[in-house]
Amino acid sequence: MFDDRSPIYRQIAERIKADVLSEALKGDEQVMSTNQYAAFYRINPATAAKAFQQLVEEGVLYKKRGIGMFVSPDARDMLRAERRKSFFTDRVDPMVAEARAVGIPLEDVIERIRELEGR
Amino acid sequence: MRIETEDLVLRYGETTAIDGLTLELEGGKIYGLLGRNGSGKTSLLSILAAFRRQTAGSVRIDGRPVFENAAVTSRISLIRDNGETVDIGTAEDAIFFAEWLRPDWDGAYARSLLDLFGIDPKKNVKEMSKGQRSALGVVIGLAGRAPLTMFDESYLGMDAPSRQAFYDALLADYMAHPRTIIMSTHLIEEVSPLFEEVVIIDRGRLVAHEESHTLLARGTAVTGPVAQVEAFTAGLKVLGTRRLGPTASAMVYGDLDDARRGQAAAAGLDLGPIAMQDLFVHLTGGPGAPGAPGTGEESPAAELRTGETR
Amino acid sequence: MRFPTRLLAANAYFALLLFAGYVVVVAVIAAGVAVFGTLSQSAWEAAVQLPRWYALFTGVALVRQYLPMYVAHGQTRRQFGAQAAVTVALFAPFLSALITLGYLLEALVYNLAGRPQALDKVHLFTEPTQVPLVFVEYLLEFVTWIVSGTFIGAGFYRWEGGGLLLIPVGIGLLLLNEGAVGTDHLGLPFIGDRLALDLPHSLGLALGVGAATFVLGLALTWSIIRDMPIRNRKS
Repeated sequence: MFDDRSPIYRQIAERIKADVLSEALKGDEQVMSTNQYAAFYRINPATAAKAFQQLVEEGVLYKKRGIGMFVSPDARDMLRAERRKSFFTDRVDPMVAEARAVGIPLEDVIERIRELEGR
Repeated sequence: MRIETEDLVLRYGETTAIDGLTLELEGGKIYGLLGRNGSGKTSLLSILAAFRRQTAGSVRIDGRPVFENAAVTSRISLIRDNGETVDIGTAEDAIFFAEWLRPDWDGAYARSLLDLFGIDPKKNVKEMSKGQRSALGVVIGLAGRAPLTMFDESYLGMDAPSRQAFYDALLADYMAHPRTIIMSTHLIEEVSPLFEEVVIIDRGRLVAHEESHTLLARGTAVTGPVAQVEAFTAGLKVLGTRRLGPTASAMVYGDLDDARRGQAAAAGLDLGPIAMQDLFVHLTGGPGAPGAPGTGEESPAAELRTGETR
Repeated sequence: MRFPTRLLAANAYFALLLFAGYVVVVAVIAAGVAVFGTLSQSAWEAAVQLPRWYALFTGVALVRQYLPMYVAHGQTRRQFGAQAAVTVALFAPFLSALITLGYLLEALVYNLAGRPQALDKVHLFTEPTQVPLVFVEYLLEFVTWIVSGTFIGAGFYRWEGGGLLLIPVGIGLLLLNEGAVGTDHLGLPFIGDRLALDLPHSLGLALGVGAATFVLGLALTWSIIRDMPIRNRKS
């Protein structure tokens, strides 16, 4: 279920973020408990708790004492802004590098993007 | 339960099974005890469970000595593959005694576990398959609900579906009834996600005791052109290096700060995590270490996986 | 200390099953002898040579199986020792009562069939219907055989082959009892005659020596198991 590339808790955090971005999890919606996550992924509950803790620190989740974890109302906007900020370095730059490595002229790439936009 | 050992030594005959082991576990967590064959895992657990008395040094559980101390031992359970708790007739007989001798025994839970593992209560333990016998040990260990519960590879005889059922049951019961659990294992990749902390011993000595994610974060695979890898890893603790033509992959153990990570990126090196099993193999001296027979558990595929470029 | 209900129950239950089966087997053999030959002697007297080996086995099993199980369930060796002592003290009279019952059943059947229930060996009793004496003799025998079993069993569990060295001590316990009771059921060739104590026989002496053997056997066993490691490898 997990690869060895990054700690499990980071992978869980990424998955929750992806759910927030896709609106599978909406603002002020309750997230499954640490124990449910632990049981589902067959991991130590402390590991799941660490993922939640990281998300609370980043402002994606907030905690209601005695009730559980909830998605921050502005989590999606915040994550979108973050992704926008890193979009060019994370997505476009590697794409351009790859295009160069395999010999695709940038003109072709731009043309393709225009095509997609027109659809 | 809080566990403290200090300069623990266990000798029998010519063998020094535990050789000056000092360890502190604060308790209330699931611990993984890793070590190669003959590293002293069973000996350590046997001392903690008062199966044996140490030759020297001290062991304290919740601050009290263990050996022949009923107040402490009644709260401890060690399940081994030897079948101390199961080899007395049928599964029902084993439960008859467990229920009577274990103060925190949960009979209803035991019955549901027997169902889960498909164990016939009337069947003689000696006629059971290895897997069923191991599963019965697991049932006794889980339903005993001892504040310190230890499984010494006792579940390794079970087949993969039963082991997964065991991991699920263990996690669920641990979350419902928090307690201290220690598991020794060879199936590191499979079981390590369950661990909150990991203790690695080798030749009777402590090699590492870390939170699982800290241990994993300490290990980094540095991959790239041979010269750059060598330059970057100079002065770092390198556990092992593999080469594939002009590319080298070195396993580094220790924290790498952002500055170092930046340097690596600038030098065109790829940094990747190392699987716990690979860390374990290298921290305990690799396959050919003297004094310890090969475990056959090393997986070159796993090393390649962590070594490949992203 | 907790009363060893379940330890006792498990052993008593098994013994009852064995007893029932054994009575049937002995009856069939005796009936065979009566049909094809002449049955003029107690068949039960000959048959009860075997149960003392079962008593010995029970003693061995206490140490080899139940002690590791107790320790694995978080009991101390001391707790086990106390429970085992009570178990032996109650299990031996239970076995002896079964043997006595066997003699009575036999007396009943022989009486109906008009056969004499003659005894072949020396006993504390002269008639199989002398219930108290029959009971005491087998009680002493079983107590001694069980504690010899725990002692020798502990020796083998702890020292493997080294346990051989303890066998003479175990046999010594048995001889001590036989000498006091005045029986020679052990039937050791040569040394049986030489070593058996030639004591003036009395019920009081037999009971006294029996009690002493019980205590001595338990004390010797305790000296081995009090800090005994639970073995890593199954033997």
